[in-house]
Amino acid sequence: MTGFPAAFATEARKAAAAAVLRFGGAFLALGTAVLAASLAAAVRAGDEQIVAKLGPAAAATGWELLAAIATQVVGAGALLAFGVTLAWSFGREFTDGTVNGLFALPVSRTALVAAKLVVHLIWTIAVATLLTLLLLGAGLATGLGPIGAGAAGALARLFVLAVCSGLIATPAAWAATLGRGPLPGVAVAVALIVTAQVTVVAAPAGGSWLPISAPALWALDPAAVNGFQLLLVPAFALAWAAAAAAAWRRLQLDR
Amino acid sequence: MPNRLEITDAVRAYGPGTGVLGASLRVAPGEVHALLGLNGAGKTTLMRAALGMVRLDGGGVRIGGVPVARLPAPNWARVGHLIDRPFAYADLSVRANLRVAARLRGLPPAAVAARVEAALGSWSLGRYGPVRAAKLSKGNRQRLGLAAALIAGPDLAVLDEPTDGLDPAGVIALREALLRLAAGGAGVLVSSHHLDEVARIADRISVMNRGRIVGGLEPGGADLERAFFALVLADDERRGEAR
Repeated sequence: MTGFPAAFATEARKAAAAAVLRFGGAFLALGTAVLAASLAAAVRAGDEQIVAKLGPAAAATGWELLAAIATQVVGAGALLAFGVTLAWSFGREFTDGTVNGLFALPVSRTALVAAKLVVHLIWTIAVATLLTLLLLGAGLATGLGPIGAGAAGALARLFVLAVCSGLIATPAAWAATLGRGPLPGVAVAVALIVTAQVTVVAAPAGGSWLPISAPALWALDPAAVNGFQLLLVPAFALAWAAAAAAAWRRLQLDR
Repeated sequence: MPNRLEITDAVRAYGPGTGVLGASLRVAPGEVHALLGLNGAGKTTLMRAALGMVRLDGGGVRIGGVPVARLPAPNWARVGHLIDRPFAYADLSVRANLRVAARLRGLPPAAVAARVEAALGSWSLGRYGPVRAAKLSKGNRQRLGLAAALIAGPDLAVLDEPTDGLDPAGVIALREALLRLAAGGAGVLVSSHHLDEVARIADRISVMNRGRIVGGLEPGGADLERAFFALVLADDERRGEAR
């Protein structure tokens, strides 16, 4: 992985200047906090439609209710947001024509892929932190009072779910490379969300074995997913990272 | 000293009569070599092959005597290139783009700032330093791309249509930069679809047509434009007869 420090410095600089990342992160963190606080208020006010939509989560109260709603939002929304930004990070090199400048360098393309993914992970953690803090702020602002142990655990799981969503978005990087643009990566992210949702509805027991649905199932109910099943999430991300790196190694600028 | 670049019988076909169909050329140390050809002649594909961006179906490429597929990473730090579009990220300022280019070309972090300021000066981009690349005119974006390509003072520069979008002052800056590089022992390969100012300072001019090098022009010769078209036409007629 020749030249990783230079590749990392480059990708970090690009990410710091990227409006797509800023808006994507803010949209996810702020959107989740506002949506969860509004829906929780609607449940408290007895809105039957919202209660029916939220299912069993609506039975909770206070912080638990807020965390449960946020977990449902993040379960699908974070994968979409991180899938879009990751697809953009890889696909923009083709659509912006900068991919030519990433060849014939003393920095290997494997190092460039690794740098992009490490920066994506750091950004994912930053957004997950912001999201959790905003939700905390929303809870305090709406007068939920002190947080109990159960709610603190739910919020911690929400943070982990957001980070895991960044990890399971990795196939978007591979697809954006093969498709030479962000759109194929976005399409794969959407396909991942649909697959995860359908699996959870059609075969809830099987969902805990599927790395793309296990984090959300675990965040909603820790007993539904065991440690080994959760460990499949980083393994899944590493496998797709290796696929993306291989695609960049083999890449030819012939179209 | 080995040639800075040597391409031997390169073949990379994209279909009947398109791509590179058997082209050879070399760029010696201290030489500016212009590759002239009409649109679709195969110049960009040949340059991409020279830089390892596409793999050849046949033939070979050597940079500094080493086959391009086996070129060690540090050797790439001595190669500068601009192919297709300038290496410029729209979100980054001109200065940040040059910093990124300098790091990626292997310059040590401590040397980057001075090299970036020097590049801003020699390409007259100083007042655009804090400006985002998205806001630049086409000509200034091309200047940025050229500055990025040459920022590490390469031993080999491969520039595809480098005068594209440049104003006369930009062309002069480019010409001076290339002459300076060559005077320092670097090899320079530039492509063009017409006899622009840069092709006119070349030590060697090769004409490419339909994937092959079909001849050369005498630098400084009279009526180069006419000689260029005569070579292309003669090749077209020869192939027409062969069919």
